[in-house]
Amino acid sequence: MSKRVLIVEDEPNIIESLSFLLGREGLEVHAETDGAKAMARLAEIQPELVILDVMLPNRSGFDILRDIQAADSPMPKVLMLTAKGQNRDRQMAEEIGVDLFMTKPFSNAEIVANIRVLLEK
Amino acid sequence: MRKSLAGTRIREQRRKVGMTQKALAKASDISASYLNLIEHNRRAVAGRVLLGIARALDIPAARLADGVESALMGDLHEAAAHGTEGQAEIGAIEEMIGRFPGWAHLLTTLYRKTRDQEAAIAALSDRLTHDPFLAESLHGMLSNITAIRSTANILTNIKDIDPAQQSRFHAIIHEESRRLSDAAQALTNYFDHATDQNSGTATPEEELDGFLSRNNYCFPQIDDPESAVTLADIIANDPNLKNREARVLVAETLAIYQRDALQMPLKEFAKSAAEVAYDPSNLARLFSTDLPAVFRRLSHLNRPGSPAPPMGLIVVNAAGHALVRRPLPDFALPRHGNACARWPLFQAFSRPERPIAALLELPNQQRFICLATAYPTGSAGFGESLEYQASMLLIPQQHNSIIESWLPPTGSAQQIGTTCRICPRADCQTRAEPQILALESAR
Repeated sequence: MSKRVLIVEDEPNIIESLSFLLGREGLEVHAETDGAKAMARLAEIQPELVILDVMLPNRSGFDILRDIQAADSPMPKVLMLTAKGQNRDRQMAEEIGVDLFMTKPFSNAEIVANIRVLLEK
Repeated sequence: MRKSLAGTRIREQRRKVGMTQKALAKASDISASYLNLIEHNRRAVAGRVLLGIARALDIPAARLADGVESALMGDLHEAAAHGTEGQAEIGAIEEMIGRFPGWAHLLTTLYRKTRDQEAAIAALSDRLTHDPFLAESLHGMLSNITAIRSTANILTNIKDIDPAQQSRFHAIIHEESRRLSDAAQALTNYFDHATDQNSGTATPEEELDGFLSRNNYCFPQIDDPESAVTLADIIANDPNLKNREARVLVAETLAIYQRDALQMPLKEFAKSAAEVAYDPSNLARLFSTDLPAVFRRLSHLNRPGSPAPPMGLIVVNAAGHALVRRPLPDFALPRHGNACARWPLFQAFSRPERPIAALLELPNQQRFICLATAYPTGSAGFGESLEYQASMLLIPQQHNSIIESWLPPTGSAQQIGTTCRICPRADCQTRAEPQILALESAR
């Protein structure tokens, strides 16, 4: 059975390219563009990996990360993405507890390699 | 008490023209010993004696008389206090003005430039760090670039893409390139506008500040109950209000001003304020309103012909975002939430509706009486939480005598700054950001 990935990202074109790349890796890819709906989708899909943008409509990626940690369900791996690339965001993500933090723009090869490592752990 | 400097100037002028003290005394028809006392500022000189000396030195008496240096003296004292080295010889300021007026003027000019540049640095730092338009634009552009880079990489490196998907990727590159181009154009327009020396403004908040400043923070058209001018007229008549968001902000600000003017009509309010020595609590009772509204009205009172002292005002929400700013010439108020954490304004949030009075001292030793209060902005139902704002009214301490009759004890002066980026207090425990200029201890 293929592993499930939930992409929480408000840019549909980034979702499209990531979905294509991860689909070729044999992963089952789901996407959500609204921060406020992310937790419901997470409960529904129960993914092994969440790719989480920091700046989202309605709720920030940091808030969602806190909720994921507080939830009773098994903790998925979390890869955070930010377009800001500021140390402040990285620091906050690390304080809350994230598996990996990457900044936009990312390279396809690098993000795919990182996701492979995360899912093998 | 400040010494007369006329004697010093007489001595310098006498030496300049190469006269002996005896010769000048004789030409001025006074004794040499009396001239000696005058030259050492131990005797005041004025009237006939001053005219005689001036005539003998062939110089207008006004250039020897006292009174011309008061402003210069004040500036030099301020410059000495602002200096973080603490090595300026304060006691020698009068001597320096008398003996080296050119150097004294140069020093004060340089000091004023430094002060202005510090304010400009604070404003620019404020904008770059917190400007929502810049942050939003950069975030958007990086997202566009991410989509283009990722999609182009797929098209270049992966050969077995089905034609429909390939066509979608091409469309994505086209769409994201257009969005990137639009964002770059918007950013260029933004910077063009920001550097427009005529307006000097860029964000809606800056346009609002410029509008209020151009009107000296008061609107006689609104204060005059007979006036037929509407708020829309005031906005439409200002050609500097260029963007829609700024006009909305100005309209909201003027609506609050109008509401306050109706509740506290200018003539009655100014009269009552003077009678109760500008006591906000008393005024709130007299006009059946709350302290924040009285603070706002008081901050508009100082205008030509009014005896009211100048009063600055800042209102912030619980996140520290400035909602209202009425700066004073010597007390800059940052636009975004990076003001000094030592301001009583922020302490007020921990004790809402219990006003605070304090004496504040800036790094340049300028002192201000501060009145601060936090208050809920509405009412909450069961299970709901209240939202709070805080207001801080500032009055320069030199006007203390006007308000001291009701002012509660403020204790010793609290050492504060305006914003960390330009604050020279190297040992401040509340520092949140490094100083842009070199810190005192690093020099």
